[in-house]
Amino acid sequence: MGDGGCCQTMDLLRSEPMQLAQLIIPIESAHCAVSYLGDLGLFQFKDLNADKSPFQRTYAAQMKRCGEMARKLRFFREQMKKEGLLPSTKSYRSNDLDMDMLEAKLGELETELIEINANSEKLQSTYAELLEYKIVLQKAGEFFPLAQRSATAQQREFEAQHMGDGSIDSPLLLEQEMITDPSKQVKLGSFTGLVPREKSIAFERILFRATRGNVFLKQAVIEDPVIDPISGEKVDKNVFVIFYSGERTKNKILKICEAFRANRYPVADDMARQYQMIREVSEKLSELKTTIDVGLLHRANMLQTIGSQFELWNIMVKKEKYIYHVLNMLSFDVTKKCLVAEGWCPVFATSQIQKVLQRATLDCNSQVGAIFHVLHTEEFPPTYFRTNKFTNAFQEIVDAYGVAKYQEANPGVYTIITFPFLFAVMFGDWGHGICLLLATLYFVMQEKKFSGQKLGDITEMIFGGRYIIMMMAVFSIYTGFIYNEFFSVPFELFGPSAYQCKQLSCRDATTSGLVKVGPTYPFGVDPKWHGTRTELPFLNSLKMKMSILLGVAQMNLGIVLSYYNAKFFKNDLNIWYQFVPQMIFLNSLFGYLSLLIIIKWCTGSQADLYHVMIYMFLSPTDDLRENQLFVGQKFLQIILLLLAIAAVPWMLFPKPFLLKKQHEERHQGRSYALLHNIDDPLETDLHEDSHDHKEFEFGEVIVHQLIHTIEFVLGAVSNTASYLRLWALSLAHSELSSVFYDKVLLLAWGFNSIIVLIVGIIIFVCATVGVLLVMETLSAFLHALRLHWVEFQNKFYEGDGYKFFPFSFTSIQDDEE
Amino acid sequence: MGFLVTTLIFVVVGVVASLCARICCDVGPSTNLLRLTLIVTAISCCWMMWAIVYLAQMKPLIVPILSEGE
Repeated sequence: MGDGGCCQTMDLLRSEPMQLAQLIIPIESAHCAVSYLGDLGLFQFKDLNADKSPFQRTYAAQMKRCGEMARKLRFFREQMKKEGLLPSTKSYRSNDLDMDMLEAKLGELETELIEINANSEKLQSTYAELLEYKIVLQKAGEFFPLAQRSATAQQREFEAQHMGDGSIDSPLLLEQEMITDPSKQVKLGSFTGLVPREKSIAFERILFRATRGNVFLKQAVIEDPVIDPISGEKVDKNVFVIFYSGERTKNKILKICEAFRANRYPVADDMARQYQMIREVSEKLSELKTTIDVGLLHRANMLQTIGSQFELWNIMVKKEKYIYHVLNMLSFDVTKKCLVAEGWCPVFATSQIQKVLQRATLDCNSQVGAIFHVLHTEEFPPTYFRTNKFTNAFQEIVDAYGVAKYQEANPGVYTIITFPFLFAVMFGDWGHGICLLLATLYFVMQEKKFSGQKLGDITEMIFGGRYIIMMMAVFSIYTGFIYNEFFSVPFELFGPSAYQCKQLSCRDATTSGLVKVGPTYPFGVDPKWHGTRTELPFLNSLKMKMSILLGVAQMNLGIVLSYYNAKFFKNDLNIWYQFVPQMIFLNSLFGYLSLLIIIKWCTGSQADLYHVMIYMFLSPTDDLRENQLFVGQKFLQIILLLLAIAAVPWMLFPKPFLLKKQHEERHQGRSYALLHNIDDPLETDLHEDSHDHKEFEFGEVIVHQLIHTIEFVLGAVSNTASYLRLWALSLAHSELSSVFYDKVLLLAWGFNSIIVLIVGIIIFVCATVGVLLVMETLSAFLHALRLHWVEFQNKFYEGDGYKFFPFSFTSIQDDEE
Repeated sequence: MGFLVTTLIFVVVGVVASLCARICCDVGPSTNLLRLTLIVTAISCCWMMWAIVYLAQMKPLIVPILSEGE
């Protein structure tokens, strides 16, 4: 698009040159070609079938097959998780397993696994039933004879009472002779079984009500919980024995038992048969147990074999799905023998892509080679920066605001340094900086280990930003030395302090203070300031002026970057009618203020800068008197004021008129050129004409320029003031640090007691870590980020591009469902 | 005097750092230029901060007045 200008290109400054390429691939080698392009990861496919629904696409059936296989794999994963197995994370290099073979194998394994599960469940429930039966036999054997005797006695009484009473519940089991001969044996029916303990009382009550007290129920508690055959869980149950007489009673009892889900088991009358039954049941139980164990072992083995191959299959299926997804985006050409792909790729990758296509042709035994063909288009390409693990984090925080337009200057280059630097200006304490550095070095050292693992959300963010935090910590150590704060304690590290008492006795140190006797403290803030009464007025003045100076510097950098952008895109209008007036306006006001600050510091003048700046506008022709900093100041101020006032219409008026003239010139030329394009068969892109057919709305352009100008002019004041947050946060940090040190640590020290000291230290550490290292870090991070996103970038950044997302298999491996 | 000397020290540190970066890992012209830019930016920022703090203390208008009970 244009040469960078004076010197060679810089890596990260502008997007890699991108091109729109067309690939014509014969169908046989399409799958191979797409697979190899995925390995290469440098081609972004455009969807040529965007208007078709997913079902109309060519490879919809294959996608469905892949979906089925993925479902089977998910099923396997669930089963393995239930067993507590983890799939092995070793990755195998696979080329040989065919998709059809894999599909068949997965199908087989699935049916087998489902069968084993079903059988296992059935066996388990049978086992649980038999277990219950055994318990019933054992328990019932204890109280059955007793209960039977009591029941018989009760029944005889009952019958005797109701002799001759034609009640509905006339027992059918009883012989007619019973009424006359009570000594004969009473024939009662019985049920034994298990009922859940919670329901046992209700069970008893309902039985009584339903049978009008005509039954005898005895319950006994089972100590350990029993596995219920139906639900498979352990439930507390009671053994019950019901004696009844009569057919209708029997049916009622049966229905009630079913309703309460009480399982019934037959128990024989005499003891001998009972023992025999217990023996039989025990034998059956042990047989079942071995069968179940064998079944479980088989299942575990199967899951083990699946587990060893699981990751491999998973990756293969995902790859296939992705490949078919991409193949669906390609369109057929007229002969129906080739697939046509369109997409973006970086210019430097051309030879790599061509090599890959050749390899695909060879590997898939295709007769015809694939064709790589560059198309010309007016569309905006995606933006691609080649970043490494260090610069990637910084690029991401810039992209979070907006991805750079294709080939405009990338603020990320400067952000790598200025962002940690501005953070450090707000954070300045070398003790805290060292803590932060140690914490982040841990993450950097354990990089390889952490990048393979799955981390929680917050840890993931901290790990992703480890290099940013490292830079922030390093710069914080530097600014900590400059502010001379180590957990708010100053040290005299770089030479003697410049201040001493006026007299040896230091009598008026607290009234008129110290004097500057030596040379200025060589590096940073003089240690004598800490704890004095005038510390805050001095530091506030210093930090506010520093914020203004740093702010003006960064904003000038932003405007200079807009100059380089204009030069790169060969936009002379922007240079003469935007860059120049903007520079003049900003520097004649705030650049001049910065100059005054420096001169005041160098000469030690007592001039009031607020007064100077305000009266420069209100009454520029007035005499300066005691606010004069240098000769000719009044004259210079009038000139700068006039320049600033002139810059505003210079930014506002010429550009719309010149744009209109440009548009008319271009339009004149274009109306003859339209006829050429129709005959060109390869130029299928119709969007290239849309740019020129856009109507030139003069009113819109003027309003746009007006907004832009007002934004800049007002923004010059507000953005400069915004940089004062550097002062505000730095003050907050040092005050908090000072409070924690003085009021917690020193206070605890003053008590001369070990316990108070330990408690004090613990509180100090917790407060420092919680408030200063975590909260202040986040706060300063946020404000430094805002300063970059708004105050720096609004001078030059458009940020309306889109990012380059190549088709690559590495990205799906991170994408775990 | 102290100002100029320390400024010179900053410049020397910057030059040494860029030479080291060029000598020990020379990765190609565009990346080299990026590295140089980063080093120059870092040195400028650090120097600016030091210079501001130094200049502010050269001819002070207020002096430390100790608080009572020291």
